[in-house]
Amino acid sequence: MPFREVSAKLVEAQVAPGARLFSQRGAMVAYTGEVSFTPNIQGGQGGLRSMIGRRVANEATPLMTVEGRGTVLFGHGGHHVQVINLDGDTLCVEADRLLAFDGTLEQGTLFLGRDGGLMGMVRGQVSGQGLFTTTLMGKGAAAVMAHGGVIQLPITPQSPVHVDPQAYVAHFGDVRNKLSTALGWREMVGRGSGEGFQLELSGSGAVFVQASEEKL
Amino acid sequence: MAQFRLEGTKVLAVTLGGGSDAVKAKNGAMVAYDGQMAFKKMTGGGEGLRGMVTRRLTGEQMAVMEVKGQGTCYFADRASDISLVRLNGEKLHVEASNLLCTDAGLRTGTTFTGLRGASQGNGLFTTTVEGAGEAALMSDGPAVLLRVTHGMPLQVDPGAYIAHQGNLRQTFQSGVTFRTFMGEGSGESFQIRFEGDGLVYVQPSERNTVGGDV
Repeated sequence: MPFREVSAKLVEAQVAPGARLFSQRGAMVAYTGEVSFTPNIQGGQGGLRSMIGRRVANEATPLMTVEGRGTVLFGHGGHHVQVINLDGDTLCVEADRLLAFDGTLEQGTLFLGRDGGLMGMVRGQVSGQGLFTTTLMGKGAAAVMAHGGVIQLPITPQSPVHVDPQAYVAHFGDVRNKLSTALGWREMVGRGSGEGFQLELSGSGAVFVQASEEKL
Repeated sequence: MAQFRLEGTKVLAVTLGGGSDAVKAKNGAMVAYDGQMAFKKMTGGGEGLRGMVTRRLTGEQMAVMEVKGQGTCYFADRASDISLVRLNGEKLHVEASNLLCTDAGLRTGTTFTGLRGASQGNGLFTTTVEGAGEAALMSDGPAVLLRVTHGMPLQVDPGAYIAHQGNLRQTFQSGVTFRTFMGEGSGESFQIRFEGDGLVYVQPSERNTVGGDV
């Protein structure tokens, strides 16, 4: 695997010819060897169509291609970094949380309305995800940023997991998510418990939750 | 009985067995749960009308919710570090803003702290937790536990103080000199002095306090 967690906030990546990486622009903190960083106007993989897709979906975080031979250290904003290894699964994550990922992973954009129709769009708004989210598919690793530490909670068909939309980081696997509301008269009169909206994730896979309710 | 467990240093996992199992937690601190959970805000900190009025008057307001159900509930707040304190009938004094979660079996109340509070920027009062069960404290950075014994008093920066337990007497001391008035103070003009026998929790960070500026 190309990524190794050096500390809670830094990851080390190995680059070799033929094994390139993508990373958020400006996230490199140090490197050794012969490595080149090329700004990626397209904002990731795919052709012109994917680029337009990302622009329209507002999931176009400035990315750069990292190529060459050597070791690169990535870190950004003092945020905690979690390396997620994918083995053919699909990872759903917000583009601005993505620090770096393997060139072998296939990047895509997912319209949240597809998964739950109108409620999916409402869900995106409530969780601050917007209407679209980035997907990574295939075999490889991705480094994802979060405020505070990250815990991984397994999701099995028997036990769905509910997550505070603000603390949600990413999920992978065959997971359906829907927004569940627990709004009662208390919320209406301003005496809510602050837990009115929750993301309900069911299926099989895992969800990553950060130890904070702050966005990046 | 609710089971408290730390998931890393910044996430608290509480396992509830259903029935009358419940915990009190800071409003909005839930990050995830599995199983069935119900969240209900407890008006005025859940201490009845008298407690509510006291909290309003003393400025030690806590927005607290009651969590009931069956399963595991995860709590975290702004990436604060969490320490667990097990109480067996003792009394724990803690700043309301540093209390994340308590067993529903623990009683909470307010006490007068005197001048110390004012220098801390937290008012003149502090929260007490009493009974048998577990409580979770939050701190900015991992908390250190300092022991106070007879003949070995401890001085703490008011901005770094989180909580204390045991048979402790606290006094407020100041080292204000003419230099302080000249604007050449060291920033350590006020301290809380603990004497007696007990434990003090300190965080590796300082809140903005009146005392910290001089």
